[in-house]
Amino acid sequence: MQGVLGAFHHLDTTVHAIEELKKARLGDVTVYSPTIRHEIDEAIDAPNSVVRRFTLIGGLLGVSFGYWISIWTGDYWPLVTGGKAIASWIPYTIIGFEVMVLVGCLSTVAGMFINARIPRLTTTVGYDPRFSGGHFGIFVSCGADKAPQVEALLQKHGADEVRREA
Amino acid sequence: MGTIAQPVEGLRRPNIASADVQIPAVTDYEQVDREIIATLGFTKKWLLGLGVAVAAMLVGASAWIYQIYWGLGQAGYEPPVMWGVYIITFVFWVGIGHAGTLISAILYLFRAGFRTSIYRAAEAMTVFAVMTAGLFPIIHIGRPWKFFWLIPNPNWRLLWPNFKSPLVWDVFAISTYLTISTTFLYIGLIPDFAVLRDRETNPMRKRIYGILSLGWRNSDREWRHFAKAYLFLAAFSTPLVLSVHSVVSFDFAMSLVPGWHASIFPPYFVAGAIFSGFAMVWTIAIPMRKWFKLEHYITLNHLDATAKVVLFTSLVVGCAYMIEFFIAWYSGVRPEQEFFWYRVFGQWWWAAWIMLLCNMALPMSLWSQKLRRNPTWLWFLSIFINIGMWYERFVIVVPSLSHEFEPWQWGSYTPSWVDMSFLVGSFGWFFMWFLLFVKQMPVMAIMELKEIVVPKRKHAHDGGHH
Repeated sequence: MQGVLGAFHHLDTTVHAIEELKKARLGDVTVYSPTIRHEIDEAIDAPNSVVRRFTLIGGLLGVSFGYWISIWTGDYWPLVTGGKAIASWIPYTIIGFEVMVLVGCLSTVAGMFINARIPRLTTTVGYDPRFSGGHFGIFVSCGADKAPQVEALLQKHGADEVRREA
Repeated sequence: MGTIAQPVEGLRRPNIASADVQIPAVTDYEQVDREIIATLGFTKKWLLGLGVAVAAMLVGASAWIYQIYWGLGQAGYEPPVMWGVYIITFVFWVGIGHAGTLISAILYLFRAGFRTSIYRAAEAMTVFAVMTAGLFPIIHIGRPWKFFWLIPNPNWRLLWPNFKSPLVWDVFAISTYLTISTTFLYIGLIPDFAVLRDRETNPMRKRIYGILSLGWRNSDREWRHFAKAYLFLAAFSTPLVLSVHSVVSFDFAMSLVPGWHASIFPPYFVAGAIFSGFAMVWTIAIPMRKWFKLEHYITLNHLDATAKVVLFTSLVVGCAYMIEFFIAWYSGVRPEQEFFWYRVFGQWWWAAWIMLLCNMALPMSLWSQKLRRNPTWLWFLSIFINIGMWYERFVIVVPSLSHEFEPWQWGSYTPSWVDMSFLVGSFGWFFMWFLLFVKQMPVMAIMELKEIVVPKRKHAHDGGHH
């Protein structure tokens, strides 16, 4: 992946650079930050995460499986316990709830992995170890023709370092 | 993801709201990295502590081998008391785990600022406490190799566990809790593993942290999905933590045994679990902040805020104790009335009074702000609370079984050396894992600490917007 990488030490200059890059439409922008910053989220204005759909589907599958396994096994060996019905919904709700939480959480994690594209084998292109420390980073994916414009823009906003990545 | 609330100014006393607890002595991101990573170096004290923990764990392991060879009769069970130290210790450790999830999930949803510095240690404590608790039902069944019978698995006779049994609910609740707590801990650790990967100089450790970080790059895409996933994990963990100890309480409350058959048990158990779990957080965090020189991360304001939670849960637990006595009297059921008299004046009176002293009386000292901000007192109080909460479970399990409806069934119970070895071993097992954890992984969430540190700005008062 070709592009230009800029490293910033200040949050406000990073945000200004993002806003201007979005206006200029010079290429796809990836922003790195040592932690979550709502200022960056607002500047990027990305769509809402779809992880919630994984959570919903996983939770529904889990609760269905929890009730199904309880009812099916109860029906398979129909022994009356404590005078309760074979398919007693109150005790089976506990199983349904626990399996809903289990499958819902695991599918949430799966959703996060799929959408965040992890695990990944390499972090090298468009990444700098400083971005997990005290620096913010902006990587603009663009060809050699637009690279000078991107470099100029990042430098104008006070990037500590600007370099081309290939 | 921590609170971004600013410190309250103009207060003459440092009695600040829990949501506003800050770490003013930490000024930049690099300082967070430097100081938290510095806790990972091995020290002689740590090795000594690990040695003691492993030795204690081996005491328990030896007792287990002995019990497997000679049979469950080596435990102190004698009819009618067929639940003893193993079940008491099981409930104790499940309870310890609850504070971790409360701090990491529930206080996260409530945006309580004081959680940021302590939640990672508390979360790890949860995982290791549940790992410890999970051993005891397996030990208790006597033939641990038959444990898988409790898990629904396709077998040639198509036999299935009874899903109407609270013991099977327990299997589901505890295994779900362990899985989700471990997942929650690991997901929160991924960005911190990336920090360690990027700072590590030892190639072997760098590679291991690289694998554990899953190639995390701190990109906006990763953070966006991470934040949403973390929120949902917290949202799931919140009812889960309430359900787990409720389900554990059903092990008792579903029976007709005097002292057990009470509808107050689920909230009473949950409050007790949070109470004991916070005490264990103090037992761990107070020495940790001193030995790792983290007093400016876990400040007196943090301890003050946790002390308020302990005071509140102590009041809830105390109220539950009193309600149990009231309901026994008000019910007019003779065996219940007789039993509750027996609980405080009978054979086990001393255990009940230890419980009342440690869980109801001593925590009342926390009405004093001076004591809430005194780490030495809080640490000693945490030990008393841990003792009191172990005895609370003793008082629930043993006197009830030894004093049921028929006088000819009444009996006694004396824990054997095998029982006590398991108790010692459980502490060894728990602290062994915790000590290994604190030297391999960041004991505080670097990523969340950075979130409450004010980031560097080139132009003052510029929030980053035009």
